[in-house]
Amino acid sequence: MAEAIARRTLIPPYLLSAPALLLYCALLLTPMLMTFLLSFNSFDLYTGIKPDYSLANYLEVIQDKYFHVIFLRTFGMALVVTLICALLGAPEAYILNRMANPWKSLFLLAVLGPLLISVVVRTLGWALLFGKEGAINMTLMGLGLVDEPVKLIFTSTGVVIALVHVLVPFMVISVWASLQKLDPATERAGLSLGASQFTVLRRVVVPQVMPGVLSGSLIVFALTASAFATPAILGGRRLKVVATTAYDEYLNTLNWPLGAAIAILLLAANVIIITSYNRVIEKKYAEAFG
Amino acid sequence: MSFLRLQGLVKRFGDFVAVDDVSLEVEKGEFVSLLGPSGCGKTTTLQMIAGFEEPSEGRIFIDGKDITGVKASQRGIGIVFQSYALFPHMSVFQNVSFGLEMRKVPEAERKKRVMETLDLVHLGDFAQRFPRELSGGQQQRVALARALVIKPEVLLLDEPLSALDAKIREDMQIELRGIQRTVGTTTILVTHDQSEALSMSDRVAVMNEGRLVQVDMPYQAYEFPETPFVSSFLGKSNRFSGVVSGQSNGKLKVKVGELEFEAEAGRGPREGPVHLSVRPEKLLLTAPAEGRFTGRVHTRIFLGNHWVYQIDSPFGPLLASHHNAGIQSVAEGEEVGLTWAVEELRVLAPEEAGDG
Ligand SMILES: Nc1ncnc2c1ncn2[C@@H]1O[C@H](COP(=O)(O)OP(=O)(O)OP(=O)(O)O)[C@@H](O)[C@H]1O
Ligand SMILES: [Mg+2]
Repeated sequence: MAEAIARRTLIPPYLLSAPALLLYCALLLTPMLMTFLLSFNSFDLYTGIKPDYSLANYLEVIQDKYFHVIFLRTFGMALVVTLICALLGAPEAYILNRMANPWKSLFLLAVLGPLLISVVVRTLGWALLFGKEGAINMTLMGLGLVDEPVKLIFTSTGVVIALVHVLVPFMVISVWASLQKLDPATERAGLSLGASQFTVLRRVVVPQVMPGVLSGSLIVFALTASAFATPAILGGRRLKVVATTAYDEYLNTLNWPLGAAIAILLLAANVIIITSYNRVIEKKYAEAFG
Repeated sequence: MSFLRLQGLVKRFGDFVAVDDVSLEVEKGEFVSLLGPSGCGKTTTLQMIAGFEEPSEGRIFIDGKDITGVKASQRGIGIVFQSYALFPHMSVFQNVSFGLEMRKVPEAERKKRVMETLDLVHLGDFAQRFPRELSGGQQQRVALARALVIKPEVLLLDEPLSALDAKIREDMQIELRGIQRTVGTTTILVTHDQSEALSMSDRVAVMNEGRLVQVDMPYQAYEFPETPFVSSFLGKSNRFSGVVSGQSNGKLKVKVGELEFEAEAGRGPREGPVHLSVRPEKLLLTAPAEGRFTGRVHTRIFLGNHWVYQIDSPFGPLLASHHNAGIQSVAEGEEVGLTWAVEELRVLAPEEAGDG
């Protein structure tokens, strides 16, 4: 026994994780560090990137109203998508969890299945539905509900709908996980103590799955804030978000340093929001759920 | 008129009959155990009383009122679940207070009643803890307090002690019984532990395969089982199968192989094939010449307060268990005589198909 432990300590844990760590450094940290450095360089329309260092790019983004709108739109959208995902995903997971097999497995597959399809393909599908002559407008007009096509494509509504569709599975998975820990007898206990079905949901079930909803919200929020494909396809040129703006700076204006600065700011904002949110939650739930 | 009355309860799941024509009358303040092997339908019966399962047939009355169609939340029944089912996100105080909040009890009175009930289960100092900060036994008591604080008409306990280890379980048995006596709530306990049922309840209702086989006071059920199933389920028993060969002034003569034994004609059959049963503690070891027949001690186990002997006999292996009275016990391999007092031999109906 002691020998086995001794042998185990011969290969220190960090050595065992070295390959993964190396890969992580090479593929993630290096490009990020380079992007970080790049964001301090300056750019000239005629001569290109200059290897000098200043905060000019950051100041430009922070001072320009144009970028303010884009950042506000991005995080506003992230907030709305997160809220809708929570409102849809949590009940969805709850109902799924109460279904009997085989329906349970079937519907779970239906919810999670789309994750297997590329976001681009799914978003293109939404584009087809949303278009002026898309399926949604044809149906609405055919039923006489509207006279003119509803504008969905290239609007934030359209982007939000598509993002919710893309991201709601993450919320479902997260809530599902916390539902597995919920003892169904607690619901019965609530009922037996005289609570109505609704009160049981509100006071017994929701508080217990809240950690799942909150961690699902973190995932959805982070993914929405940095989403690229969906806003790019459905939002188009006019409805820019931070990720598509950075992309445009890189590929259209060729102002890589500015693009890098935008990307770094997005990352920083995301990290700050998520960690502070996480801290608040942990404080709130540490006592009951440890 | 009994306080809680189950009348011909049947529960089917598809073709499967989980509870089959269960009728039971429980007096006010009585403590009745539903005892039976796993899967015999105890929980299902309890769930029907609680209102979580709808009976396929039959009716349930509390205090003369038919509550068969009443919602679980309107029945005013207290339940302690096997898993305790405490609300993990609420403190002990909040857990216990929940039922009173639902009843809109004013805050001052609520506080008072919660603390009184917590004191009753000796958890007055733990009100601000969360369930996960408590031991299993303490969680159990919170669950009991939560069920009792609403002053339920009937208290249902579904294997409340099965998650506890042996020592705490014994303490809790005594404590639970004491608390039940104090508050006087009509109580039904579900358990598959026969000693728990025997030690705690006023009456034991033995279930097998969805049916009630015998409802009796613990001593009666143990001493005068009506079927071989009850005799083997409530404690251990040595059984012989034989045929009634004669009857004389209230005594039956039963032929078992070459031998003939006398037995009191009890509630069992008086003719034809029967089962004889003797409890291990009633099977006496004597000198070889003095027994009704002889056997050889195969194994001897010391259990502290008593000895258990496994004996090879012409009728197969037999169990005898005797108090450790400080007397030198019989050794393994020794030949012994086996006997019993006539009145300790029970005559039971032969095994029915599926029984035992
Ligand atoms: N919802 C259900 N659907 C189908 N069968 C069920 C259902 N609930 C219980 N059963 C079956 O009914 C029978 C009785 O179940 P029950 O839970 O009442 O047993 P029990 O006596 O409480 O057993 P245990 O001591 O193991 O808890 C079992 O065979 C079980 O498989
Ligand atoms: Mg059970």
